[in-house]
Amino acid sequence: MGNSITVKDVEAGYGSVRVLHGVSLTVNDGETVVMLGSNGNGKSTLIKCITGLVEPSAGEITAEINGESINLIGKTPEEIVDLGIAMVPEGRRLFPALTVEENLTLGAYRPEARAKIDENMKFVFETFPRLEERRKQLAGSMSGGEQQMVAVARALMSDPKILLVDEPSVGLAPILVSQMIAKIKELKDIKNLTVLMAEQNFNQAIKIADRGYIIVHGQIEFEGEDTAALENNDMIKQYYLGV
Amino acid sequence: MITLELFLNAVVAGLMLGGFYAAVALGLSITFGQLDIVNIAHPTFVILGSFVAYILNQNFGIDPVLIGVVFMPVFYLIGTTLYRVYYVSFERTGQESLSGLAFFFGLMFIIEVVLILTFGVDYRLVNAAYIGKTLHIGFLDMPFRMLVPAIAATIMTGAVVLYMTKTFMGKAIMAVSQDRLALQLMGADPIKVKRIALGIAIATASLAGALLIIIQPVEPSVGRLYIGRIFAIVVLGGMGSISGTFVAAILIGVVESFIATFYGPSWAPAVGFGILLLTLAIRPQGIFGRA
Repeated sequence: MGNSITVKDVEAGYGSVRVLHGVSLTVNDGETVVMLGSNGNGKSTLIKCITGLVEPSAGEITAEINGESINLIGKTPEEIVDLGIAMVPEGRRLFPALTVEENLTLGAYRPEARAKIDENMKFVFETFPRLEERRKQLAGSMSGGEQQMVAVARALMSDPKILLVDEPSVGLAPILVSQMIAKIKELKDIKNLTVLMAEQNFNQAIKIADRGYIIVHGQIEFEGEDTAALENNDMIKQYYLGV
Repeated sequence: MITLELFLNAVVAGLMLGGFYAAVALGLSITFGQLDIVNIAHPTFVILGSFVAYILNQNFGIDPVLIGVVFMPVFYLIGTTLYRVYYVSFERTGQESLSGLAFFFGLMFIIEVVLILTFGVDYRLVNAAYIGKTLHIGFLDMPFRMLVPAIAATIMTGAVVLYMTKTFMGKAIMAVSQDRLALQLMGADPIKVKRIALGIAIATASLAGALLIIIQPVEPSVGRLYIGRIFAIVVLGGMGSISGTFVAAILIGVVESFIATFYGPSWAPAVGFGILLLTLAIRPQGIFGRA
Protein backbone atom coordinates (compact mmCIF):
# COMPACT_ATOMS: atom_id res chain seq x y z
CA MET A 1 0.00 0.00 0.00
CA GLY A 2 2.34 2.68 -1.22
CA ASN A 3 2.12 6.44 -1.18
CA SER A 4 4.24 8.14 -3.79
CA ILE A 5 4.43 11.00 -6.24
CA THR A 6 5.58 10.94 -9.85
CA VAL A 7 6.19 14.14 -11.76
CA LYS A 8 6.92 13.75 -15.45
CA ASP A 9 8.05 16.43 -17.94
CA VAL A 10 6.13 19.17 -16.18
CA GLU A 11 6.16 22.65 -17.64
CA ALA A 12 4.56 25.52 -15.81
CA GLY A 13 4.74 29.24 -15.26
CA TYR A 14 2.89 32.41 -14.43
CA GLY A 15 1.44 34.27 -17.40
CA SER A 16 4.07 34.46 -20.10
CA VAL A 17 6.91 33.65 -17.70
CA ARG A 18 7.96 30.00 -17.94
CA VAL A 19 9.32 28.69 -14.66
CA LEU A 20 9.51 24.93 -15.08
CA HIS A 21 10.97 23.43 -18.26
CA GLY A 22 10.20 19.73 -18.30
CA VAL A 23 10.80 18.69 -14.70
CA SER A 24 10.61 15.02 -13.76
CA LEU A 25 11.04 13.61 -10.32
CA THR A 26 9.72 10.81 -8.14
CA VAL A 27 9.19 10.41 -4.44
CA ASN A 28 8.83 6.75 -3.54
CA ASP A 29 6.84 5.30 -0.67
CA GLY A 30 8.30 6.27 2.69
CA GLU A 31 11.13 8.33 1.25
CA THR A 32 12.27 11.80 2.22
CA VAL A 33 13.31 13.53 -0.95
CA VAL A 34 14.80 16.99 -0.97
CA MET A 35 14.66 19.44 -3.81
CA LEU A 36 17.64 21.76 -3.59
CA GLY A 37 18.06 25.07 -5.32
CA SER A 38 18.34 28.73 -4.56
CA ASN A 39 15.54 31.27 -4.83
CA GLY A 40 13.72 31.60 -8.11
CA ASN A 41 14.63 28.23 -9.60
CA GLY A 42 11.15 26.74 -9.46
CA LYS A 43 11.02 24.68 -6.25
CA SER A 44 7.90 26.35 -4.92
CA THR A 45 6.26 26.32 -8.33
CA LEU A 46 6.72 22.57 -8.58
CA ILE A 47 5.19 22.05 -5.14
CA LYS A 48 2.31 24.31 -6.13
CA CYS A 49 1.80 22.21 -9.26
CA ILE A 50 1.53 19.07 -7.13
CA THR A 51 -1.04 20.69 -4.82
CA GLY A 52 -3.07 22.12 -7.69
CA LEU A 53 -2.39 25.77 -6.88
CA VAL A 54 -0.61 26.18 -10.23
CA GLU A 55 -1.80 24.33 -13.30
CA PRO A 56 1.04 22.91 -15.43
CA SER A 57 0.89 23.69 -19.16
CA ALA A 58 2.33 20.27 -20.00
CA GLY A 59 3.39 17.06 -18.30
CA GLU A 60 1.94 14.53 -15.89
CA ILE A 61 1.64 14.47 -12.13
CA THR A 62 0.36 11.33 -10.49
CA ALA A 63 0.09 10.32 -6.89
CA GLU A 64 -0.21 6.84 -5.54
CA ILE A 65 -2.36 6.79 -2.42
CA ASN A 66 -2.66 3.48 -0.59
CA GLY A 67 -1.51 1.80 -3.79
CA GLU A 68 -4.09 3.47 -5.98
CA SER A 69 -2.74 5.63 -8.79
CA ILE A 70 -4.47 9.01 -9.17
CA ASN A 71 -3.93 11.68 -11.81
CA LEU A 72 -3.54 15.04 -10.05
CA ILE A 73 -3.64 17.24 -13.15
CA GLY A 74 -6.88 19.23 -13.30
CA LYS A 75 -7.80 18.55 -9.69
CA THR A 76 -8.50 21.49 -7.36
CA PRO A 77 -6.29 22.01 -4.28
CA GLU A 78 -9.26 20.94 -2.14
CA GLU A 79 -9.57 17.63 -3.97
CA ILE A 80 -5.83 17.01 -3.69
CA VAL A 81 -5.84 17.74 0.05
CA ASP A 82 -8.78 15.35 0.37
CA LEU A 83 -6.61 12.57 -1.05
CA GLY A 84 -4.22 12.90 1.90
CA ILE A 85 -1.59 15.22 0.47
CA ALA A 86 -0.74 18.05 2.85
CA MET A 87 1.46 21.05 2.27
CA VAL A 88 3.39 23.25 4.67
CA PRO A 89 3.53 26.43 2.59
CA GLU A 90 6.47 28.77 2.34
CA GLY A 91 6.08 31.65 4.77
CA ARG A 92 3.79 29.45 6.94
CA ARG A 93 0.52 31.09 5.82
CA LEU A 94 -1.22 30.76 9.20
CA PHE A 95 -4.54 32.41 10.00
CA PRO A 96 -3.06 35.18 12.15
CA ALA A 97 -6.26 36.30 13.88
CA LEU A 98 -7.27 32.76 14.86
CA THR A 99 -5.87 30.96 17.89
CA VAL A 100 -3.35 28.14 17.63
CA GLU A 101 -6.11 25.68 18.42
CA GLU A 102 -8.43 27.12 15.75
CA ASN A 103 -5.62 26.94 13.19
CA LEU A 104 -5.03 23.30 14.08
CA THR A 105 -8.73 22.48 13.95
CA LEU A 106 -8.98 23.93 10.45
CA GLY A 107 -6.10 21.62 9.51
CA ALA A 108 -8.50 18.75 10.10
CA TYR A 109 -11.09 20.14 7.69
CA ARG A 110 -11.08 17.23 5.25
CA PRO A 111 -13.71 14.62 6.14
CA GLU A 112 -11.26 11.78 6.77
CA ALA A 113 -9.27 13.92 9.21
CA ARG A 114 -12.33 15.13 11.16
CA ALA A 115 -12.90 11.64 12.49
CA LYS A 116 -9.38 11.57 13.91
CA ILE A 117 -9.22 15.12 15.18
CA ASP A 118 -8.85 14.31 18.90
CA GLU A 119 -6.16 11.72 18.31
CA ASN A 120 -4.20 13.97 15.97
CA MET A 121 -4.54 17.03 18.21
CA LYS A 122 -3.11 14.98 21.08
CA PHE A 123 -0.29 13.82 18.84
CA VAL A 124 0.75 17.29 17.65
CA PHE A 125 0.61 18.63 21.21
CA GLU A 126 2.91 15.80 22.32
CA THR A 127 5.23 16.60 19.43
CA PHE A 128 5.17 20.35 20.03
CA PRO A 129 4.39 20.87 23.76
CA ARG A 130 4.90 24.59 23.23
CA LEU A 131 1.75 24.69 21.12
CA GLU A 132 -0.34 23.14 23.87
CA GLU A 133 0.83 25.83 26.29
CA ARG A 134 -0.14 28.48 23.73
CA ARG A 135 -3.26 26.90 22.31
CA LYS A 136 -5.40 29.95 23.12
CA GLN A 137 -2.91 32.46 21.75
CA LEU A 138 -3.46 34.15 18.39
CA ALA A 139 -1.19 32.57 15.80
CA GLY A 140 -0.12 35.97 14.48
CA SER A 141 1.33 36.95 17.85
CA MET A 142 3.75 34.03 18.09
CA SER A 143 7.44 33.96 17.24
CA GLY A 144 8.65 32.73 13.86
CA GLY A 145 9.77 29.39 15.21
CA GLU A 146 6.47 28.79 16.97
CA GLN A 147 4.57 29.78 13.85
CA GLN A 148 6.54 27.23 11.85
CA MET A 149 5.55 24.61 14.45
CA VAL A 150 1.90 25.58 13.97
CA ALA A 151 2.29 25.32 10.20
CA VAL A 152 3.76 21.83 10.40
CA ALA A 153 1.28 20.73 13.07
CA ARG A 154 -1.63 22.09 11.06
CA ALA A 155 -0.54 20.06 8.02
CA LEU A 156 -0.35 16.95 10.20
CA MET A 157 -3.89 17.54 11.48
CA SER A 158 -5.11 16.65 7.98
CA ASP A 159 -3.82 13.12 8.66
CA PRO A 160 -1.72 13.10 5.47
CA LYS A 161 0.04 10.25 3.76
CA ILE A 162 2.23 12.54 1.70
CA LEU A 163 3.72 15.72 3.15
CA LEU A 164 5.06 18.53 0.98
CA VAL A 165 7.24 21.01 2.85
CA ASP A 166 8.19 24.26 1.17
CA GLU A 167 11.27 25.97 2.64
CA PRO A 168 10.79 25.21 6.34
CA SER A 169 13.96 27.15 7.16
CA VAL A 170 12.87 30.54 5.79
CA GLY A 171 13.06 33.26 8.41
CA LEU A 172 14.22 31.00 11.23
CA ALA A 173 17.35 31.29 13.36
CA PRO A 174 19.92 28.54 12.57
CA ILE A 175 19.27 26.65 15.81
CA LEU A 176 15.54 26.59 15.06
CA VAL A 177 16.15 25.42 11.50
CA SER A 178 18.11 22.49 12.85
CA GLN A 179 15.34 21.63 15.35
CA MET A 180 12.60 21.97 12.75
CA ILE A 181 14.39 19.70 10.28
CA ALA A 182 14.91 17.09 13.00
CA LYS A 183 11.23 17.35 13.91
CA ILE A 184 10.16 16.70 10.33
CA LYS A 185 12.30 13.55 10.30
CA GLU A 186 10.80 12.41 13.63
CA LEU A 187 7.25 12.99 12.40
CA LYS A 188 7.95 11.25 9.13
CA ASP A 189 9.17 8.16 10.98
CA ILE A 190 6.28 8.02 13.45
CA LYS A 191 3.56 8.67 10.87
CA ASN A 192 5.16 6.72 8.00
CA LEU A 193 4.95 9.72 5.76
CA THR A 194 6.29 10.18 2.28
CA VAL A 195 8.00 13.57 2.27
CA LEU A 196 9.03 15.98 -0.47
CA MET A 197 10.88 19.00 0.86
CA ALA A 198 12.03 22.09 -1.02
CA GLU A 199 14.96 23.71 0.70
CA GLN A 200 17.91 25.93 -0.01
CA ASN A 201 19.75 25.10 3.17
CA PHE A 202 21.76 22.15 1.88
CA ASN A 203 23.56 21.29 5.10
CA GLN A 204 20.33 21.01 7.05
CA ALA A 205 18.28 19.29 4.38
CA ILE A 206 20.90 16.65 3.78
CA LYS A 207 20.60 15.49 7.42
CA ILE A 208 17.22 13.93 6.85
CA ALA A 209 17.06 13.33 3.10
CA ASP A 210 17.25 9.86 1.59
CA ARG A 211 18.12 11.36 -1.76
CA GLY A 212 17.63 14.58 -3.65
CA TYR A 213 17.47 16.66 -6.78
CA ILE A 214 19.16 19.89 -7.67
CA ILE A 215 16.90 22.23 -9.59
CA VAL A 216 18.40 25.13 -11.55
CA HIS A 217 16.44 27.52 -13.76
CA GLY A 218 13.44 25.24 -13.82
CA GLN A 219 15.30 22.08 -14.80
CA ILE A 220 16.61 19.15 -12.82
CA GLU A 221 20.37 19.51 -13.14
CA PHE A 222 21.37 16.62 -10.94
CA GLU A 223 19.75 13.63 -9.31
CA GLY A 224 21.59 12.26 -6.31
CA GLU A 225 20.82 8.63 -5.49
CA ASP A 226 21.93 9.15 -1.91
CA THR A 227 23.25 11.93 0.27
CA ALA A 228 26.88 11.06 -0.53
CA ALA A 229 26.21 11.60 -4.23
CA LEU A 230 24.78 15.02 -3.44
CA GLU A 231 27.69 15.96 -1.23
CA ASN A 232 30.17 15.01 -3.94
CA ASN A 233 28.36 16.93 -6.64
CA ASP A 234 30.39 19.76 -8.13
CA MET A 235 27.48 22.20 -8.09
CA ILE A 236 26.85 21.55 -4.43
CA LYS A 237 30.51 21.92 -3.65
CA GLN A 238 30.59 25.18 -5.51
CA TYR A 239 27.38 26.77 -4.24
CA TYR A 240 26.89 25.39 -0.77
CA LEU A 241 30.10 23.96 0.58
CA GLY A 242 32.47 26.57 -0.79
CA VAL A 243 35.01 23.92 -1.78
CA MET B 1 -34.14 64.83 39.05
CA ILE B 2 -33.12 61.32 38.08
CA THR B 3 -35.03 58.74 40.05
CA LEU B 4 -33.89 55.13 40.40
CA GLU B 5 -37.11 54.04 38.73
CA LEU B 6 -36.47 56.15 35.66
CA PHE B 7 -32.83 55.10 35.58
CA LEU B 8 -33.60 51.36 35.67
CA ASN B 9 -36.35 51.71 33.10
CA ALA B 10 -33.91 53.48 30.80
CA VAL B 11 -31.43 50.61 31.27
CA VAL B 12 -34.03 47.95 30.49
CA ALA B 13 -35.36 49.86 27.48
CA GLY B 14 -31.79 50.22 26.25
CA LEU B 15 -31.06 46.51 26.65
CA MET B 16 -34.13 45.65 24.59
CA LEU B 17 -33.31 48.24 21.93
CA GLY B 18 -29.71 47.00 21.80
CA GLY B 19 -30.87 43.42 21.41
CA PHE B 20 -32.82 44.45 18.35
CA TYR B 21 -29.84 46.40 16.95
CA ALA B 22 -27.83 43.19 17.31
CA ALA B 23 -30.27 41.38 15.02
CA VAL B 24 -29.85 44.02 12.31
CA ALA B 25 -26.05 44.25 12.75
CA LEU B 26 -25.49 40.46 12.88
CA GLY B 27 -25.61 39.97 9.12
CA LEU B 28 -23.27 42.87 8.53
CA SER B 29 -20.93 41.49 11.17
CA ILE B 30 -20.59 38.40 8.96
CA THR B 31 -20.29 40.14 5.57
CA PHE B 32 -18.26 43.19 6.58
CA GLY B 33 -16.53 41.78 9.66
CA GLN B 34 -15.66 38.29 8.43
CA LEU B 35 -15.72 38.43 4.63
CA ASP B 36 -14.57 42.02 3.99
CA ILE B 37 -17.65 42.50 1.81
CA VAL B 38 -19.06 46.01 2.31
CA ASN B 39 -22.71 45.05 2.06
CA ILE B 40 -24.23 48.48 2.36
CA ALA B 41 -27.51 46.96 1.15
CA HIS B 42 -27.91 44.85 4.31
CA PRO B 43 -30.52 47.13 5.96
CA THR B 44 -32.51 47.01 2.72
CA PHE B 45 -32.66 43.21 2.98
CA VAL B 46 -33.92 43.76 6.52
CA ILE B 47 -36.69 45.97 5.10
CA LEU B 48 -37.44 43.24 2.56
CA GLY B 49 -37.84 40.92 5.55
CA SER B 50 -40.23 43.44 7.10
CA PHE B 51 -42.41 43.49 3.99
CA VAL B 52 -42.50 39.67 3.78
CA ALA B 53 -43.69 39.67 7.38
CA TYR B 54 -46.19 42.43 6.57
CA ILE B 55 -47.74 40.61 3.58
CA LEU B 56 -48.13 37.25 5.31
CA ASN B 57 -49.26 38.79 8.58
CA GLN B 58 -51.90 41.00 6.96
CA ASN B 59 -53.21 38.30 4.62
CA PHE B 60 -53.02 35.21 6.78
CA GLY B 61 -52.56 36.56 10.30
CA ILE B 62 -49.38 34.56 10.83
CA ASP B 63 -47.12 35.63 13.70
CA PRO B 64 -44.34 37.90 12.38
CA VAL B 65 -41.54 36.16 14.31
CA LEU B 66 -42.62 32.82 12.87
CA ILE B 67 -42.64 34.31 9.36
CA GLY B 68 -39.15 35.69 9.92
CA VAL B 69 -37.83 32.27 10.95
CA VAL B 70 -39.63 30.32 8.22
CA PHE B 71 -38.35 32.63 5.49
CA MET B 72 -34.72 32.30 6.56
CA PRO B 73 -33.99 29.52 4.01
CA VAL B 74 -35.44 31.71 1.23
CA PHE B 75 -33.22 34.62 2.28
CA TYR B 76 -30.30 32.19 2.56
CA LEU B 77 -30.80 31.31 -1.11
CA ILE B 78 -30.99 35.00 -2.02
CA GLY B 79 -27.67 35.45 -0.21
CA THR B 80 -25.91 32.53 -1.93
CA THR B 81 -27.20 33.69 -5.32
CA LEU B 82 -26.03 37.20 -4.55
CA TYR B 83 -22.55 35.87 -3.79
CA ARG B 84 -22.41 34.01 -7.09
CA VAL B 85 -23.16 37.25 -8.95
CA TYR B 86 -20.74 39.23 -6.79
CA TYR B 87 -17.99 36.65 -7.24
CA VAL B 88 -18.31 36.32 -11.01
CA SER B 89 -18.70 40.05 -11.60
CA PHE B 90 -16.19 41.54 -9.18
CA GLU B 91 -14.25 39.31 -6.83
CA ARG B 92 -12.85 36.98 -9.49
CA THR B 93 -11.34 39.92 -11.33
CA GLY B 94 -10.17 41.64 -8.16
CA GLN B 95 -12.48 44.63 -8.53
CA GLU B 96 -14.48 44.08 -5.39
CA SER B 97 -13.37 47.09 -3.38
CA LEU B 98 -14.84 49.88 -5.47
CA SER B 99 -17.09 48.19 -8.03
CA GLY B 100 -18.39 45.85 -5.32
CA LEU B 101 -19.40 48.79 -3.17
CA ALA B 102 -21.17 50.38 -6.13
CA PHE B 103 -22.89 47.04 -6.75
CA PHE B 104 -24.35 46.87 -3.25
CA PHE B 105 -25.26 50.55 -3.38
CA GLY B 106 -27.16 49.94 -6.61
CA LEU B 107 -28.75 46.84 -5.18
CA MET B 108 -29.98 48.88 -2.22
CA PHE B 109 -31.71 51.37 -4.52
CA ILE B 110 -33.21 48.68 -6.74
CA ILE B 111 -34.78 46.80 -3.82
CA GLU B 112 -35.99 50.07 -2.32
CA VAL B 113 -37.53 51.30 -5.58
CA VAL B 114 -39.21 47.96 -6.24
CA LEU B 115 -40.70 48.08 -2.74
CA ILE B 116 -41.87 51.67 -3.24
CA LEU B 117 -43.45 50.84 -6.62
CA THR B 118 -45.19 47.84 -5.10
CA PHE B 119 -46.26 49.14 -1.71
CA GLY B 120 -45.94 52.92 -1.94
CA VAL B 121 -44.30 55.04 0.72
CA ASP B 122 -46.95 54.52 3.40
CA TYR B 123 -45.90 53.13 6.76
CA ARG B 124 -46.96 49.49 7.19
CA LEU B 125 -47.36 47.52 10.36
CA VAL B 126 -48.15 44.04 11.62
CA ASN B 127 -50.64 42.73 14.14
CA ALA B 128 -50.03 40.20 16.87
CA ALA B 129 -51.77 39.61 20.18
CA TYR B 130 -48.75 40.73 22.22
CA ILE B 131 -48.07 43.99 20.35
CA GLY B 132 -49.39 46.84 22.49
CA LYS B 133 -49.22 44.84 25.72
CA THR B 134 -46.61 45.46 28.38
CA LEU B 135 -44.97 43.19 30.92
CA HIS B 136 -44.75 44.86 34.34
CA ILE B 137 -42.17 43.59 36.81
CA GLY B 138 -42.24 45.84 39.86
CA PHE B 139 -41.72 49.33 38.49
CA LEU B 140 -40.07 48.03 35.31
CA ASP B 141 -42.10 48.32 32.13
CA MET B 142 -41.25 45.99 29.28
CA PRO B 143 -43.46 46.43 26.24
CA PHE B 144 -43.73 43.11 24.38
CA ARG B 145 -43.11 44.85 21.08
CA MET B 146 -39.55 45.49 22.39
CA LEU B 147 -39.11 42.40 24.57
CA VAL B 148 -40.01 39.80 21.92
CA PRO B 149 -37.54 41.18 19.33
CA ALA B 150 -34.79 41.41 21.94
CA ILE B 151 -35.24 37.77 22.97
CA ALA B 152 -35.49 36.54 19.38
CA ALA B 153 -32.38 38.53 18.44
CA THR B 154 -30.40 37.11 21.36
CA ILE B 155 -31.33 33.55 20.42
CA MET B 156 -30.41 34.17 16.77
CA THR B 157 -27.04 35.71 17.72
CA GLY B 158 -26.32 32.82 20.08
CA ALA B 159 -27.07 30.32 17.32
CA VAL B 160 -24.75 32.08 14.88
CA VAL B 161 -21.94 32.31 17.47
CA LEU B 162 -22.29 28.57 18.16
CA TYR B 163 -22.18 27.82 14.45
CA MET B 164 -19.09 29.96 13.91
CA THR B 165 -17.13 28.56 16.84
CA LYS B 166 -18.22 24.92 16.90
CA THR B 167 -18.41 23.85 13.28
CA PHE B 168 -15.67 23.43 10.69
CA MET B 169 -17.56 25.60 8.23
CA GLY B 170 -17.90 28.33 10.86
CA LYS B 171 -14.16 28.33 11.53
CA ALA B 172 -13.52 28.36 7.78
CA ILE B 173 -15.77 31.44 7.53
CA MET B 174 -13.68 33.14 10.22
CA ALA B 175 -10.48 32.24 8.35
CA VAL B 176 -11.44 32.90 4.74
CA SER B 177 -10.58 36.60 4.56
CA GLN B 178 -7.30 36.08 6.45
CA ASP B 179 -5.67 33.77 3.90
CA ARG B 180 -7.76 32.13 1.21
CA LEU B 181 -4.83 30.20 -0.25
CA ALA B 182 -4.07 28.66 3.13
CA LEU B 183 -7.73 27.73 3.45
CA GLN B 184 -7.50 25.86 0.15
CA LEU B 185 -4.56 23.95 1.59
CA MET B 186 -6.85 22.88 4.45
CA GLY B 187 -9.12 21.32 1.85
CA ALA B 188 -11.83 24.00 1.96
CA ASP B 189 -13.13 25.80 -1.10
CA PRO B 190 -13.00 29.55 -0.26
CA ILE B 191 -15.70 30.41 -2.77
CA LYS B 192 -18.11 27.91 -1.26
CA VAL B 193 -17.23 29.12 2.24
CA LYS B 194 -17.99 32.74 1.31
CA ARG B 195 -21.17 31.72 -0.47
CA ILE B 196 -22.48 29.97 2.62
CA ALA B 197 -21.42 32.90 4.82
CA LEU B 198 -23.25 35.45 2.70
CA GLY B 199 -26.26 33.12 2.68
CA ILE B 200 -26.29 33.05 6.49
CA ALA B 201 -25.82 36.83 6.65
CA ILE B 202 -28.81 37.52 4.42
CA ALA B 203 -30.86 34.85 6.22
CA THR B 204 -30.51 36.84 9.45
CA ALA B 205 -32.13 39.81 7.67
CA SER B 206 -35.34 37.80 7.32
CA LEU B 207 -35.83 37.59 11.07
CA ALA B 208 -34.35 41.05 11.73
CA GLY B 209 -36.89 42.53 9.32
CA ALA B 210 -39.77 40.79 11.05
CA LEU B 211 -38.50 42.11 14.39
CA LEU B 212 -38.21 45.65 12.99
CA ILE B 213 -41.82 45.76 11.87
CA ILE B 214 -42.94 44.53 15.29
CA ILE B 215 -41.10 47.45 16.91
CA GLN B 216 -42.10 50.22 14.51
CA PRO B 217 -44.13 50.84 11.34
CA VAL B 218 -41.97 50.40 8.25
CA GLU B 219 -41.78 52.10 4.87
CA PRO B 220 -39.30 51.11 2.11
CA SER B 221 -36.55 53.65 2.81
CA VAL B 222 -36.52 53.34 6.61
CA GLY B 223 -33.51 51.01 6.32
CA ARG B 224 -31.26 53.96 5.51
CA LEU B 225 -31.52 55.09 9.12
CA TYR B 226 -29.73 51.90 10.12
CA ILE B 227 -26.79 51.96 7.69
CA GLY B 228 -24.56 54.24 9.73
CA ARG B 229 -25.63 52.78 13.05
CA ILE B 230 -24.95 49.14 12.21
CA PHE B 231 -21.59 49.87 10.57
CA ALA B 232 -20.71 51.74 13.77
CA ILE B 233 -21.82 48.75 15.86
CA VAL B 234 -19.76 46.24 13.84
CA VAL B 235 -16.61 48.39 14.00
CA LEU B 236 -17.16 49.20 17.67
CA GLY B 237 -17.56 45.53 18.56
CA GLY B 238 -14.44 44.59 16.66
CA MET B 239 -14.21 43.35 13.09
CA GLY B 240 -14.69 39.62 12.91
CA SER B 241 -16.16 39.20 16.39
CA ILE B 242 -19.84 38.33 16.44
CA SER B 243 -20.08 38.37 20.22
CA GLY B 244 -18.38 41.77 20.03
CA THR B 245 -21.09 42.98 17.67
CA PHE B 246 -23.73 41.85 20.16
CA VAL B 247 -22.06 43.64 23.07
CA ALA B 248 -21.58 46.80 21.00
CA ALA B 249 -25.24 46.71 19.92
CA ILE B 250 -26.35 46.46 23.55
CA LEU B 251 -23.99 49.28 24.52
CA ILE B 252 -25.28 51.57 21.79
CA GLY B 253 -28.87 50.64 22.70
CA VAL B 254 -28.39 51.48 26.38
CA VAL B 255 -26.59 54.75 25.67
CA GLU B 256 -29.21 55.85 23.14
CA SER B 257 -31.93 54.98 25.62
CA PHE B 258 -30.23 57.08 28.33
CA ILE B 259 -29.78 60.03 26.05
CA ALA B 260 -33.36 59.77 24.84
CA THR B 261 -34.65 59.55 28.42
CA PHE B 262 -32.57 62.30 29.99
CA TYR B 263 -31.61 64.70 27.19
CA GLY B 264 -33.97 64.14 24.29
CA PRO B 265 -34.17 61.65 21.43
CA SER B 266 -32.63 63.89 18.77
CA TRP B 267 -29.19 63.54 20.40
CA ALA B 268 -29.25 59.74 20.46
CA PRO B 269 -27.69 58.96 17.03
CA ALA B 270 -24.85 61.45 17.54
CA VAL B 271 -23.92 59.81 20.81
CA GLY B 272 -23.60 56.38 19.16
CA PHE B 273 -21.00 57.74 16.78
CA GLY B 274 -19.35 59.63 19.61
CA ILE B 275 -18.81 56.36 21.46
CA LEU B 276 -17.44 54.81 18.29
CA LEU B 277 -14.87 57.58 17.80
CA LEU B 278 -13.86 57.51 21.45
CA THR B 279 -13.46 53.73 21.46
CA LEU B 280 -11.44 53.71 18.26
CA ALA B 281 -9.13 56.36 19.70
CA ILE B 282 -8.40 54.18 22.74
CA ARG B 283 -8.75 50.72 21.22
CA PRO B 284 -8.51 50.80 17.41
CA GLN B 285 -9.43 47.14 16.96
CA GLY B 286 -12.80 47.62 18.68
CA ILE B 287 -14.03 46.14 21.95
CA PHE B 288 -13.54 42.47 21.08
CA GLY B 289 -11.35 42.89 18.01
CA ARG B 290 -8.53 40.42 17.66
CA ALA B 291 -5.12 42.07 17.44
